[in-house]
Amino acid sequence: MKAKKDRVYKEEPSLPSLVPAWLAALLSAIIPGLGQSLGRAIKRGIIIFGSFASLVGLLIWRFRIAAPRDTGIVDIVLKAFRLQPVFIVIAVFFGLMYIWNIVDAYQVSKAAGKPDKRKPVIVFALILIVFFLIGWQIGKIDLYGFVTQFDDSFPILKQVLWPWEKAISYPTEEVIGTAELGYPCTDSPPPQSEPREEKPYLIADPTCGTPTLEEVGKNPETDEWERMVTPGTVIHVEGFNFDPDQEVEIWWRDSAGRFYIHRDLETDTNLKVMPDEDGYFEVDLVWPFPIGDTIRTNVQGVAEWQLQGKQISRIGTWEISEELELAFVLMIETIFIGMMATFFGVILSVPVSFLAARNLMSANAFTLGIYYFVRFILNVIRSIEPLIWAILAIIIVGLGPFAGILALTVHSIAALGKLYSEAIESIDPGPIEAVQATGANWFQIVMFGVVPQIIPPFVSFTIYRWDINIRMSTIIGIVGGGGIGYILVQWIRNWKYQEAGIAVWFIAITVAVLDYVSAEIRERFV
Amino acid sequence: MLEIRNLTKIYEDGTKALDNVSFSVPDGEFLVVIGLSGSGKSTLLRCINRLIDPTDGEIIWNGEDLAKLQGEDLRKARRKIGMVFQHFNLVERSTVLTNLLTGRLGYAKTWPTMLHRFSKADRDKAWATLARMGIEDQAHKLARELSGGQQQRVGISRALMQDPELMLADEPVASLDPVLAHSILQHLENLNKEDELTIICSLHYLDLVQRYSTSVIGLREGHLVYQGTKKEIQKMTDDEFKTIYGEEAVRISDTSLEGSVGEVVEE
Repeated sequence: MKAKKDRVYKEEPSLPSLVPAWLAALLSAIIPGLGQSLGRAIKRGIIIFGSFASLVGLLIWRFRIAAPRDTGIVDIVLKAFRLQPVFIVIAVFFGLMYIWNIVDAYQVSKAAGKPDKRKPVIVFALILIVFFLIGWQIGKIDLYGFVTQFDDSFPILKQVLWPWEKAISYPTEEVIGTAELGYPCTDSPPPQSEPREEKPYLIADPTCGTPTLEEVGKNPETDEWERMVTPGTVIHVEGFNFDPDQEVEIWWRDSAGRFYIHRDLETDTNLKVMPDEDGYFEVDLVWPFPIGDTIRTNVQGVAEWQLQGKQISRIGTWEISEELELAFVLMIETIFIGMMATFFGVILSVPVSFLAARNLMSANAFTLGIYYFVRFILNVIRSIEPLIWAILAIIIVGLGPFAGILALTVHSIAALGKLYSEAIESIDPGPIEAVQATGANWFQIVMFGVVPQIIPPFVSFTIYRWDINIRMSTIIGIVGGGGIGYILVQWIRNWKYQEAGIAVWFIAITVAVLDYVSAEIRERFV
Repeated sequence: MLEIRNLTKIYEDGTKALDNVSFSVPDGEFLVVIGLSGSGKSTLLRCINRLIDPTDGEIIWNGEDLAKLQGEDLRKARRKIGMVFQHFNLVERSTVLTNLLTGRLGYAKTWPTMLHRFSKADRDKAWATLARMGIEDQAHKLARELSGGQQQRVGISRALMQDPELMLADEPVASLDPVLAHSILQHLENLNKEDELTIICSLHYLDLVQRYSTSVIGLREGHLVYQGTKKEIQKMTDDEFKTIYGEEAVRISDTSLEGSVGEVVEE
């Protein structure tokens, strides 16, 4: 039998199927892939069987998780279908895949032994689809949630994207206006505060009364012991000479000298009042509980209380905020972490790269052994992420930038060692031969024949690595390796999104500038 | 007078590149070596300046056996032997001037050259050589920015910087078009005639061989198969040429040299 020529998917002149097509189909219905294997498509059969086995395993796992409290296959499946409709889609495609596997077995064993027969790929397409659907379910992919929740997160995202309100701050000063109160009322209640020029003060009316008191007593109506609260006197408070448009907090100082902030019982928050443009406000306050049992009195038997209106007011002009300064300083630290790591990486990787260059190390079995060993070590080091190296370095040297430098240095040695050694391997032997022919000695050959050839790629790779190292150093702080990453994570965890936004901006600007600069420099050398 | 006696080179993989080759080159000769690729031409030239160590035989030059020299003595001998390469072998990322000064390395002290310091005399010599080869204006360009013909002129200049008494040229025009080939070979011819420089040059084109050589040797599979004077080479027939080059050899006519030119053999 002669094959037609020039067919792209030409098969080997294959042997006829071991079993009739109908039997292959039947066997594949029992064990997926078996029919194909007996139909002289062994690899195909194994792949199909392996795919089925792993998909069934994955499905059992995911269905169990979806319905953990149910027993019985039917219950579990129905529950999973109800809770997560994606399982229905998976089941449909799984069924299609199973059926098509039978069809495939039939087609393959029928085609076996005939030349030039393209083998169908639909079964593989179906297998892939089922894998993707399960991946969708495992990955908890939720595009609907992504779109709907995007709206809710917008205020936070806005803070991150435009954080510059926090970039400046104003020096502040605490200003206090007070009014004296007395309990109980006597013939001479505390006097009203004297009006003051320019400085805030409170006028309380009345200046004496009773705090909120509670006692445990017998309720005469129900005849049961219960906690009885007598609300305190309502005091009308007016504030004068406060800074306009700055919130005022109301504090109490009880007779024992303890301070506490006035709680607004309706909203259960600290009470804040906003003065008008003249710095005036008025508010009615219920005299709260004294804290503790002791009510200290003066010689007249009066407990002296004080009302305070506290205001944090801006003084002077704006200044750079602490957060901006911190982000800036840490960004500098970050850049230097990257720089120092590159510096050490270059120094240490140059000798290593000579050991990892095949053209230099293939002289004999021993040096070749060193070559393979060094290459192996470099590959291992390189495959471990700098973040993991940082965690290891922190164990040794503790938190801080040095740990970050160590981690990035280790990774740089491996990465640069490989790149440098490849640059050495691609040296043109021609110029070296020519310099040798002039009667130059070994040092001169290296200086005039080798160095000019490896300097440009070395410089290019070094700048490339510097670029990578600074990018890496921005995140190495996440595990405690110093730099801006550390404070970035702190801010995010404390919901300080604006501050975090400042850090993100700094990182973005630095990386962008660096990207541009390194590309420019490298272009000159390549 | 260069005398090659029973020169043999066997590479580590067992290839016998040269087999018992003997010939002599009187001073002032323009000796052309012809032969197929792989016939041992390059190996022969590189044995003379010991870029390749011969397995056996003697290379007597000025009463010294170059084959036995080691270390400092070898480097001193190499200084007097310039070499020009098919692919120019310039340090492409260095300037033309630096490439020329490389030719003085054998004479200069090691440590100043590590800092790229060369004596005033060396620099003047470099400029004079550039002027002689007509590439003064290229001095500060990187070698890779030059055209092929210019690069080969830099290659010759570098060899000239060595004050050579012998010039080895390994297919110096194989990478160039016919017009440039003539120009480069004319430079070599001038050096041969004016400076009385002995030249050993391997070539592929029979026409160029007939035009420039003063004597010719032919190599085939490491054996010396032909030795002829200028007169003999002028009368050489295609059949004789084929005994050296093999059946696929084609003679190039003079007309084809001006237009498209094919090599005598395919490499």
